[in-house]
Amino acid sequence: MPNLGEFASYLVGLVTDAVGSSSMRLGAAPTVAILLVLLVLLSLVARPGARWVASDLGGLARVGRKMALAAESGADATVSLGSAGVSRAASATDRFQTLAALPLLGHVADAAARAGVPLRVTTNDPVAALLAQATLAAAHQRTATPERASTTAVEYVGEGRSAAAAFALASAQPHGVAAVAGGLAEDALLVLDGVLGDAEWSLAATASGSQAAGPLLSGDGSLVGPAFFQAEGEIGRGGHARTVVLAANRLIWGTIGLLLVGSLLAWAGAPQVAAFLTGR
Amino acid sequence: MRRSILTGVVLVTGLLVLLDLMIVNPSLHGAAGAVNELLVLLAAAAAVGGGATLAAHHARTLAAGDGDSTASIVLLVGMASMLVAGLRPGSSGSSDPAVLWLVAALLAPIAASLFALLFVFLLAAIRRGFALRLRETSLMAGAVAVVIVLLLPIGGQAGDWLAAGAGWVRDVPLAGVFRGLLIGTGILVAVSAARSLVGLDPDDD
Repeated sequence: MPNLGEFASYLVGLVTDAVGSSSMRLGAAPTVAILLVLLVLLSLVARPGARWVASDLGGLARVGRKMALAAESGADATVSLGSAGVSRAASATDRFQTLAALPLLGHVADAAARAGVPLRVTTNDPVAALLAQATLAAAHQRTATPERASTTAVEYVGEGRSAAAAFALASAQPHGVAAVAGGLAEDALLVLDGVLGDAEWSLAATASGSQAAGPLLSGDGSLVGPAFFQAEGEIGRGGHARTVVLAANRLIWGTIGLLLVGSLLAWAGAPQVAAFLTGR
Repeated sequence: MRRSILTGVVLVTGLLVLLDLMIVNPSLHGAAGAVNELLVLLAAAAAVGGGATLAAHHARTLAAGDGDSTASIVLLVGMASMLVAGLRPGSSGSSDPAVLWLVAALLAPIAASLFALLFVFLLAAIRRGFALRLRETSLMAGAVAVVIVLLLPIGGQAGDWLAAGAGWVRDVPLAGVFRGLLIGTGILVAVSAARSLVGLDPDDD
């Protein structure tokens, strides 16, 4: 059995030896400047709020407008958290999808609260129901609409995947906005068809690989596989962040295009433009 | 302040479970086990509460006379039958013959017949898919047609070619797509799990 103390002292010794046998190549100020540039680059890449990707995964940016249209037409909204639950006897990956669906529920709940659209959330797991209630309460708190909390509800539909599917089919009706987000299994198409049905706008999201076709066939917007988890970082971003990322993406594509064209010109024997521009 | 306390609780319990996963220590294992037992207790309490709420909701629906009364009656009678079968004096609980009969003779066939509808709903989903996005659904329907042709029960040399083609489709493109989905999902599950364990949410970004 390895000794943790010895391991820690070995690591500390390794670091102190490396520091002791090193010296700065460029001096203090240039080193700090390089580290700052590196830090900025890392923060751009690592922080979901400003990563170098701008897309509208699953059409989530449209939820606000669709909810406003639902308010105008007097329609309601519904969200199903899939059939995996949190405390049910499903695989860990499936159950984790229920947790990953909560930010999506928050996004839809924010839009529903702002537009004053009644929102109903269904789940086949009581713990997921508690989490959904907390998410809805947080949405009304964020949007300062506590008076509209009475129009939102979380319903526990009973235990089992078949219960979720049967409830979805039995309570099928046209909704303004409908979403299914979470772990799904053999019940996927039944739940998707029952909940999404003839909704004005629908979102289907699951990371269950075996059910990838269901969301692609059933929802106006769909999140399949990794995109389901990726969406959490995409929602709630301000317009300015999206604009900056779009501009950066165009800059990157422009640079790549310039490099390719320049390389092709150089390969074809054209004069060295880069050498002319840089004076070398 | 309230949010800080909640975040702190999530952070401490998450790190406790993570440390127990990485380090062998009896005290740590005991503490992580206690957290897990609390979670089981919470789930059990929520299950009982969920069942009671479901029954109360449908009882209210019946009393108020709005909504689908027949469905509420069916649900309440079903719940009562199962509870009586499992909890009556002398019953052996979930392994009682009456409970097993209710599951085998009623619940299982109902669930099976529900899932037998999948074929019909698959066709409905394909129709909806064509209405939503023609290109992707056409691609999917085309792939389905190819697979059906490959799996046709034909003998002889042509049958061997089709069977070999079906095997190739299963082992190369299909397996590749599923592995890609699994790898991508696995990576992002790890990232999301780490964010959950240290109590980060989109507001923190």
